[in-house]
Amino acid sequence: MALSPFIAQEVAQEAQDQATQATAYDSVWAGDAVPTQALSGMEQVMLSNDKLYVVLAVVLIIWIGIVILLLRNDNRLKSVERTMEERGTSFDDGL
Amino acid sequence: MDNTPPVVNVRRYTVIRNIILVWVTVVLFAAFLLNIPKINILEHTARNLYFHVPMWFTMMAAVFVSAYHSFQVLRSGDLVRDIRALQAARVGAFFGILGLVTGIVWSKFTWYVGTDVWWNFDPRQSMVSLQLLIYGAYFVLRGALDDPSKRARIAAVYNLFAATTTPFLLYVIPRQMESLHPGAEGNPAFSEITHPIMRLVFYPAIIGFIGLFWVMYTQRVRTALLKYRVTHDPEL
Repeated sequence: MALSPFIAQEVAQEAQDQATQATAYDSVWAGDAVPTQALSGMEQVMLSNDKLYVVLAVVLIIWIGIVILLLRNDNRLKSVERTMEERGTSFDDGL
Repeated sequence: MDNTPPVVNVRRYTVIRNIILVWVTVVLFAAFLLNIPKINILEHTARNLYFHVPMWFTMMAAVFVSAYHSFQVLRSGDLVRDIRALQAARVGAFFGILGLVTGIVWSKFTWYVGTDVWWNFDPRQSMVSLQLLIYGAYFVLRGALDDPSKRARIAAVYNLFAATTTPFLLYVIPRQMESLHPGAEGNPAFSEITHPIMRLVFYPAIIGFIGLFWVMYTQRVRTALLKYRVTHDPEL
């Protein structure tokens, strides 16, 4: 594959040097330095609006992860509650 | 376990939890609303610095917490410490997975645009996957041992090993190799190339996500402890 991410990274770093002079959000097409195929539909969506949707996707992934953890915590708590009910537990173990 | 002070200070937990929730909300707003310098290829995805990178800081913090409690298990044999070590490792691995997935998405729509590549064996990605497998083995190892106190000690020894490998796999080795990540091959990692406005959000984001880790970790410790008190059988 003719992929050259490292060249792309150098380009990114050069661009960073100019970044202070660039006006905010002038649109440089990001694929310029990278060998490209035609963009897939998903890429067209994700690259629009200066790639803001990539950030949205990342934030959503984190949010979904947190939700999963939350639900798992809930199930765990539920199972303890069930055990307590079954046993009619009262705390007398001095802990 | 006798005569220990309450294992989780619920009032302190509640106060810190509320602060963290407000804190993270503010960070989220700042992450999207502050203007940042325009960089070719990155464009708005530079904002992922506030989300993807703190995942790794958080995982590292979790590893420290877990290792600390494993060390205490070896010192005292206290099963509560074992519960804490396990839950810290679990929530830490959870943040590791989030970091990995967010990294995949980020690279796909920046450096891998126009290719079919999702995974290019970037050294840091590979090493981190290895690290997650090492922690996976920790969870499996626990399941293989029946006697709680024996399990606590053996798992603690292994967990200390896992924690020791972490800085090398996450930071030392990837910096020696070609990588998309800043800091590879002796490049500047962060200090010279990051705009001040981004630091303004980045550092609070790290604090926020580590705080979020602490909240979730404490919740899980409380539940696991409750289960232990009810069943007298600490979790695997």
